[in-house]
Amino acid sequence: MEALLSNYVEKSLNQYMLRNAVFLCERLLAEFPSEVNLQLLARCYLAKNQPHSAYYILKGMEMAQSRYLFAIACLEMDLFSEAEAVLLPIEHLCSEVPNGAAVQYLLGIIYRDTARMKRSAEHFRKALSIDPLFWAAYEELCMLGEAEEAAVYFGDAAIPCVQEHYLGNTSSCLLIGGTNHSFGSSQRFVFEDLSLSHLQQKEQKKPRDISQNNHGGPILTGAVEQITNSCGNTSSLSTPSPVPTQIRGSLFFDSGLRRSARLATPMRSLNTSKGSENKERSFHASTKLNSETCSSTAHQGKLLETYEVAVSEFEATSSLSSTADVKSIQHEIVNTKLRNFIADAATIKSGISDTFKLLRILGEGYRHLCMFRCKEALIVYQKLSSKQYNTSWVLSQVGKAYFELVDYLNADYAFSLAHQISPYSVEEMDIYSTVLYHLKEEMKLKYLAQELILVDRFAPQTWCAIGNCYSLQKDHETALKSFQRAVQLDSRFAYAHTLSGHEYVIMEDYSLGAECYQKSLNVDPRQYKSWYGLGVIYLHKEKFEFAEHHFRQAYQINPFSSVIMFYLGTTLEALKRSGEALEMVEKAIVMDNKNPLPKYSKAKLLVTLGKLNEALEILEELKECTPRESSIYSLMGEIYKQHKKYDKAMLHFGLALDLKPSLVDVAKIKAAIGKLVIPDEIEDNL
Amino acid sequence: MATESSESEEEGKITGGNQHLVVEDDLREMGKKAAWTVSSCKTGNGVSSLRDDNLETYWQSDGAQPHLVNIQFQKKVKLQLVVLYVDFKLDESYTPSKISIRAGDGFHNLKEIKTVELVKPTGWVYLSLSGNDPRETFVNTFMLQIAVLSNHLNGRDTHVRQIKVYGPRPNPIPHQPFQFTSREFITYSTVR
Repeated sequence: MEALLSNYVEKSLNQYMLRNAVFLCERLLAEFPSEVNLQLLARCYLAKNQPHSAYYILKGMEMAQSRYLFAIACLEMDLFSEAEAVLLPIEHLCSEVPNGAAVQYLLGIIYRDTARMKRSAEHFRKALSIDPLFWAAYEELCMLGEAEEAAVYFGDAAIPCVQEHYLGNTSSCLLIGGTNHSFGSSQRFVFEDLSLSHLQQKEQKKPRDISQNNHGGPILTGAVEQITNSCGNTSSLSTPSPVPTQIRGSLFFDSGLRRSARLATPMRSLNTSKGSENKERSFHASTKLNSETCSSTAHQGKLLETYEVAVSEFEATSSLSSTADVKSIQHEIVNTKLRNFIADAATIKSGISDTFKLLRILGEGYRHLCMFRCKEALIVYQKLSSKQYNTSWVLSQVGKAYFELVDYLNADYAFSLAHQISPYSVEEMDIYSTVLYHLKEEMKLKYLAQELILVDRFAPQTWCAIGNCYSLQKDHETALKSFQRAVQLDSRFAYAHTLSGHEYVIMEDYSLGAECYQKSLNVDPRQYKSWYGLGVIYLHKEKFEFAEHHFRQAYQINPFSSVIMFYLGTTLEALKRSGEALEMVEKAIVMDNKNPLPKYSKAKLLVTLGKLNEALEILEELKECTPRESSIYSLMGEIYKQHKKYDKAMLHFGLALDLKPSLVDVAKIKAAIGKLVIPDEIEDNL
Repeated sequence: MATESSESEEEGKITGGNQHLVVEDDLREMGKKAAWTVSSCKTGNGVSSLRDDNLETYWQSDGAQPHLVNIQFQKKVKLQLVVLYVDFKLDESYTPSKISIRAGDGFHNLKEIKTVELVKPTGWVYLSLSGNDPRETFVNTFMLQIAVLSNHLNGRDTHVRQIKVYGPRPNPIPHQPFQFTSREFITYSTVR
């Protein structure tokens, strides 16, 4: 019964029939309390999104797999210290525990969320070294800013490692070489038609023998003995009884317990490939023998069934622990299509190397983007095949790259494609909403927000988009509420904090704004926008040294942003370090020629340095590019006033006023004009 | 900005009033950063009713005239517009008639900057603080005092339902001499 139930639970889990799975698993646990069954129930709870239940039942359990599941439940509930405490002891078993890479990854996440970045990066690297296909770990490394080139992790050197995983190495995997696969698959092939309903009809005798045989030995040999035993007792097969379920239970139980030991120590009978081949052949032979000898009896079918049970139990056992490698191998055996594919080592190698090629490109692109080398990132992503490129993830990354380059039109295009391809995805849609905010595309932004609400009302990205929408309409209170909502939904979503900060600053509430920026930086110290925000607050408060510090931090993180350079230049100008300011502004102009602000800053600086003509030159250029910018004319008017060219000053002030500047500026300009008139009058009087 | 006041700085008569509050985008309400006090009030109709955005509630004074509303800021601010909601139909003899607006650093040096006479007002009344000179578009001050000198029908006490004070929006980009107007400049001017 135990095997039946546990098998059924597995099946239900695979088919997402969670109520079935949970109920039957609870019955299973009540009937056969064991740590393995506890793990199964925990998996059911985790699948049902009830981490608290999983946490409760697994608390204090010692098995590696239990600890792993417990850690996952803890992380779902944000209990970092407990998760850490439970994972650390199995950390050094990593190479033996099949989900070692996952353990390292989880530890990395824990350290990152508890602000221990260096150790976090170490663990992600370890995860990658154990399992080079662990993309999530590489992603995290990039986000920490600590990633090396993608080729280091997804390079040819790592191919043998992945091969090992798939083909299994002697000490860490039960199945060895292709021979095992064919062995397993052929068995499958034979027993394909048999259903689990026959499970009940197992021989009841020799339960003790079997369990004795099974101690310290792999289930396969146990099964062999089981069959030979049963063969010898054909008479006893006629009466099925409830006892068989107990047998299976103990077999099952033992195999579960012994699994980690089995994994750690080489199999008794299957030490080397050569040895296994021999054993397998004898195994084959023995089963054939068994079936032959018993073929005469009506119980042949049952024997085959028995064997099938043993194999399926073995599968059930191994699939209990979520080992990527062994389980995947099992499943691949089951899948007859893959059978031939996997069996060929060369095909594996080429498959791995193709996967790595893809991951290398994606990894390099992602790494460049995280370090804000947007142009390089775009070039790298272009190398992808059009199949891979036209996916929402890649297009969103491309959109992000354009966004950071302040090329909002291209960003809009990329993001809208991404959204079209995967309308169900909310990833990076918060950035898209910011792009639309910058472009002042009110209709598009409203539409996006509405669509996102329909897709996922509980995603922080949705609320960021909504907030941006309100902010664009100047309803800053509601925008703030939306951003706070996003924060409530996910307090580790740094961008929501940053946006809240921006709103507070617009509403001139500098202390609350600074708090929000700080929260954002606590979550993600690489949010250069929050550093920038703090710098702006200090500029408003006229605390220029603090402003400089914060802008420099932002600049360190993203040295390619001409806007940050412009602000740094402004701060240096306020600190009266005009030389440095000029340098910074020149850099900004070089970085992005389309950005008019550094040029404007440069003109201002030249005025303070007395180089009025050069300043005018620059402003004339700017006038060509953006003829409707009132502040250009105002500044030119000021310069001409200094130069005592009053008629030109008058002209430019007039032009500036025509372009409808703000009320304050109107007053300033009119006042300036007023002062112009007086020198004229004095001249007249003379 | 809709206003029915005359241009002269001295006595101006205002009649009527808008039902809707419409203010230029360039202006923003400054009252949140100020400390509001009144010279006297009846219990339950205190100064909070002036700032609650509820036209049903009103401030009722309870003493001798002139009745004063004092608005004090922590630092000098530029103010351009004062808007009051008063309604003769609802308040009759409690409706303010003569209003004087004073500005200064504190109680000791307030100077009158505007007086106005309301004649049966029925809604939002706009009182601009600008002078004729462009240099006087704004009043740069620590404190504003709105004094109700007399009421309609010679009433003693007064009802005012809401008061809002407006000033210009500052430059969102700090430390720039002029604000940017064109899209190209504005796009590059912030990181979001």
